[in-house]
Amino acid sequence: MILLAVVVATALLLYLTLSLNVFPQMYQSIEPRRPEAVITDVSLSTPVINLGQTFVISVTGTNRGEEADMQIVSAGFPNLTKAENIKVLEHNFAQTPILIDVGDHIGSEYSGNERRVNALYPSVEAFSRPWAGGSTYNIDLQVKPEAEGKFVVFVKSIAFPHSWNGAHWPHEGISDYQKELVEVYHIQVTKP
Amino acid sequence: MNYFSQSPAQDIISSSSRFLAGYVLVSLGVLLAAGGGSWDINNHLMNKPETFFAPPHAVLYSGAGAVVTGAIILFRTSRHIGKIIRPIKLVVAGMLMLVVAGPIDFVWHSAYGLDGLLSPPHFVLVSGMIASSVGALAGMVYHGSMAFREPRLSSPLILIGMLPVWLATSGMVDMFSLPFSHTGYFDFDPHPVLGVAVATLAFPFLMSLVACSSSTLAGRRFGMVSAVGGAFIATNMLTSIVPNDALLATIPFYAANFIPFIAADALLSFSRSRILGYAAGAIIGIAFFTLYYPLITYTFDKVLEQKTIWPSLIALRYFQMIGTVLPLVTVPAAALGILGAVASDKLILKNKAL
Repeated sequence: MILLAVVVATALLLYLTLSLNVFPQMYQSIEPRRPEAVITDVSLSTPVINLGQTFVISVTGTNRGEEADMQIVSAGFPNLTKAENIKVLEHNFAQTPILIDVGDHIGSEYSGNERRVNALYPSVEAFSRPWAGGSTYNIDLQVKPEAEGKFVVFVKSIAFPHSWNGAHWPHEGISDYQKELVEVYHIQVTKP
Repeated sequence: MNYFSQSPAQDIISSSSRFLAGYVLVSLGVLLAAGGGSWDINNHLMNKPETFFAPPHAVLYSGAGAVVTGAIILFRTSRHIGKIIRPIKLVVAGMLMLVVAGPIDFVWHSAYGLDGLLSPPHFVLVSGMIASSVGALAGMVYHGSMAFREPRLSSPLILIGMLPVWLATSGMVDMFSLPFSHTGYFDFDPHPVLGVAVATLAFPFLMSLVACSSSTLAGRRFGMVSAVGGAFIATNMLTSIVPNDALLATIPFYAANFIPFIAADALLSFSRSRILGYAAGAIIGIAFFTLYYPLITYTFDKVLEQKTIWPSLIALRYFQMIGTVLPLVTVPAAALGILGAVASDKLILKNKAL
C-alpha cells in the first residue's frame, strides 16, 4: 500500500511539474509566425471614365514571409455609398470574398475581429485562410462610380497573426477609418 | 431433410455473434463519426471550409453509415429471437437521429452557409451518436454479463465500446462550452462564464466515469484505464493536434496526459479500497485541462482575455494561461472526478445501465 501511494504521488508530482513548469517554459519561448503581406500589383482598367460607366481594378497580393493563418487583401471605395456598385468579376482566393457595406461591423487596428468598428464606406475583403508563404492571389473588381470627380480607391493587405510591422502593407501613407494604413489609387470620373 | 436448418444451440451462437458484430459496428461507426467531428472543428478553425462536402464530413457520415448498418443487424437479430432489449432500442433511436440529422445538416449548410458548432442538426447528430454508442456499450455489457454473471467485458470490447461514448459525450460538452457557435445568422455561443463552468464540471466527471467504469468492467485489471486513456489521447492527438503544424511541437506535452491515467489505473487495480477508487477519480478529473488541449484554450480565453486566437497561436496562449487556470480548477475538477467515480459505482455495479 505504501509503495502504491509513493508511486501514485510521484506520478502526480511529475505530471504537475511537467504541466505547470517544464512545458510552459519550453513553449512560451516559441515565436509567433511572421507572415509578410505585400501587394505586388494594382491595375486600373482606365484612368478616366464617364459617369455611368464601370472600370475594373485588379489587385494582386502575396505573402513573402511565413505562413499566415489568414491574410486579407482589401479594396475600399470612400466615394461609394453602397456595396451594390461593386462586383467581383474573378478571384482565386481560397474563400469567397466579402462585400462590406456601410454600417457593417468590421475589425480595426490590425486586431482581426477584436476591435470592431462600423464601416464608413463600402469595401471588398478577399482572403485566404491559411495563406502559405510565397503564395499569390488575385481579385478583379468591377466598380461603378456614383458621382463625377476624383474617384479614390484604398488598397491594403493584412496578414494574421499580426506579429510584426511587415504583416501589413503599406508601411506608410494615410490611415483609414479602421486606423490601418492604405495605398491610394484614383481615376477621374467625367460628365457623360 | 433440411440441411440448412440450425439447432437451437447453433442459433444462439449465431445470434450472439451477430449481436456482437452489430454492437462493434455501431461503436466503430460512432468512433469514426466522432473522430470526423473533431477533425471538422479543426478544419473550420484552420481552413474555413464553405461547403458541406468537406473530407471531415465524409468521415463523419461514413461513421453514421456504419452505425445504420450495425443498428439494422441488431434490430433484425433481435426480431429473429423475438426480444428487443433496451440497449438495442437505444441504438435504434440513436441511429434514427443520425439518419435525420444528415439531410437537415445539408439543408442548414445550404441555407445559412458556414454553420457554428452548436446548431439544431449538430445537436441531433451528437445526441444520436451518444445514444447509439451508449446503447452499443450497454448491449455488449448485457451479453457479456450473461457469460461472466457480473458486469464484465473483454479488454478489446471495453476499448471499442468506451471510446466512442467518451468522444461523443465530449463533443456534446464542446458544443455547450466552446465559443464557436456565433455565425452571421445565429449566436448560439454560450456565455463565457457558463462555457467555463460547463467544461470544468462536465469534462472531469465524464473522464472519471469512463475510466472507473472501464476498470470495473475489466475486473480491475491493470492496464485497462491506461489503454482507454491512451486511446483517447491518440485520437485527440490525431484529430486536433497533428492537422495543425503549429501544434506539432506540443505533442510531448500532450503525451504527458498518459501519466495521470497510469496513476489512476494503479490505484484502481492494486487496491480494493473505495476511498482510493475515489482518489483515482480525482486524479483523472484534475487532468481535464491538459487532456482537452488545444480546443479548451478558446473556452477559457473567452473569460480571461477575449483575444483572437489564430490557429498558430493556440499553444502560446494556452501556455500563458495554464499557470493561472490549472490551480484554480483543480479543486472543482477533483470533486467532479470523485463524483464520476461514485456514479460509475452506481451505474456498473448496480447494473442500472442495463
